Amino acid sequence: MAFSGQSVHIPCAFSLVEILSVLYSKHLHFNPADYKDPKRDYLVLSKGHGVMALYPILQKIGWIKDEHLEQYFKDGSLLRGLCESDIPGLEVTSGSLGHGLPIATGIALGLKRRNLSNKVFCIVGDGEMNEGTMWESCLFAGHHKLDNLTIIVDANEFQAMGRTEHVIHLEPLTEKFQSFGFLAKRVEGHDINALDSAFSEMSKVSHQPKALIASTTKGKGISFMEGENQWHYTRLNEETLERALKELYS
Amino acid sequence: MRATFANWVADTAKRDENFLVLSGDHGYALFDEIRRVRPGQFLNVGVAEQMMVGLAAGLSRQGFRPLVYGLAAFVPIRVLEQIKLDVCYSKLPVLFVGDGAGLVYSTLGASHQSAEDVACLRPLPDLRIYSPCDSEELKACLAESREYSGPSYLRMGKGDLSPVHDSPIKGTKAHWIFKGRHPERPALIATGSMVSPLLSLSKELDISLLSVPRLKPFPEEFFSLVQGRESLLVVEEHSRYGGLASAILDAHVEKQIPLPKMEVFCLEDRFSEKCGSYQYALSEHHLSLEILSERIRQTLRRSSL
Repeated sequence: MAFSGQSVHIPCAFSLVEILSVLYSKHLHFNPADYKDPKRDYLVLSKGHGVMALYPILQKIGWIKDEHLEQYFKDGSLLRGLCESDIPGLEVTSGSLGHGLPIATGIALGLKRRNLSNKVFCIVGDGEMNEGTMWESCLFAGHHKLDNLTIIVDANEFQAMGRTEHVIHLEPLTEKFQSFGFLAKRVEGHDINALDSAFSEMSKVSHQPKALIASTTKGKGISFMEGENQWHYTRLNEETLERALKELYS
Repeated sequence: MRATFANWVADTAKRDENFLVLSGDHGYALFDEIRRVRPGQFLNVGVAEQMMVGLAAGLSRQGFRPLVYGLAAFVPIRVLEQIKLDVCYSKLPVLFVGDGAGLVYSTLGASHQSAEDVACLRPLPDLRIYSPCDSEELKACLAESREYSGPSYLRMGKGDLSPVHDSPIKGTKAHWIFKGRHPERPALIATGSMVSPLLSLSKELDISLLSVPRLKPFPEEFFSLVQGRESLLVVEEHSRYGGLASAILDAHVEKQIPLPKMEVFCLEDRFSEKCGSYQYALSEHHLSLEILSERIRQTLRRSSL
């Protein structure tokens, strides 16, 4: 769909794949027959730029159709280049950064007030952690001990203009979350078993919100995209598409 | 008006457990009553207005009906993008209240003053905008916003002005506060804090005074009410750009109705310069009661009728 739609923001979707895969296969409760089931857990994609990693999952569950993926970016089509809440399965509109986490925090607070046990998972970018609203939300979630909220930082170490450590130094991120009252730990973000056990372990802890800092690689799985930030803005052509597919299927 | 607001907030909280008040550490004594009767339904989120709007959107998605309170300089101006994207885009029923709008905080300077709150909100789809002039209009606006399934903004200006209405009003239509004897003469058209100060002047000069408590959607009845008037003298404690005067002109263009002859008395296109009382701050914009009255008299002297 990235090729047919000639979209950008490809590598920031590849850094998310295993995180989403583990969540949807093991930790996120949802009802395939009803994406609005009140008993569902909430997956809030705050880093809306990674939405291309989510569309195929929504298609596989059956909430969007094959043709929606095929028509990506065509005139009058449904799916956009950032996360929009009118798409079945997408909870919020994000991509303007710093919006998803405050809303996820509000959802988590609302669930707590109703004594419901649904969980809220919010995927944020490490670059997105530059935004003040992210830290406002962390202060709030820590103060109110929102243990139904798990933040997953897709720490791919890049943001729009360069490496996060060069743009705005974020580390030590785990300790920063801990100082805000979070149970926080770092995990290898492409290791399915490590992610699985981290989510399981964290779900047992109550009375504090959780943050999983997932060390990832922007463009993971495609050698010429990994660590090459110009691919944040580059479109696939026939040659790069073929090379990318060959690497992914090998 | 503020006491009416405080009581309405507490009463609504008692009637509806889904009604939550969110404040970014503002409204010190204003929320004493709700904190007394329904402490769990008042939430001071801290000095974090932008997060507060996202939080309200999330709570609204869980079926709560949040009222987001702040000074108009912060709610809506500081949080405009959050209102647009988190709330309006999903048409969530969140009520925003911008207190101290206009030059109420005359001694605190530009940081706490707002001449542009209505202007920045008018282009947002589905958002209703209210600007009540006294307690009765306030109650009508609040009631209507509660009935509406989408977002609203309520502009609360100077709160200690003389009441305009002596009995409850129904709905938020534009309506005559005073009707002069000559239906063809110029009419005063005002909203919010500018209605009450004009009441005695309109009687003295025998000139009609229309109050417009709802700015968006623009009141349809406006056209028939002012039909045949020689001119409209529009008065608002807001910028010329994007407030009541703009709304009137825009509505005429949209309806393909010939533009009326209009004179606008409003906040001028510049920030306040010096410190002083509310009336002093208005005087810098030639809008204090004394200066405004003289300007209106002059206009009427020039009037052909």
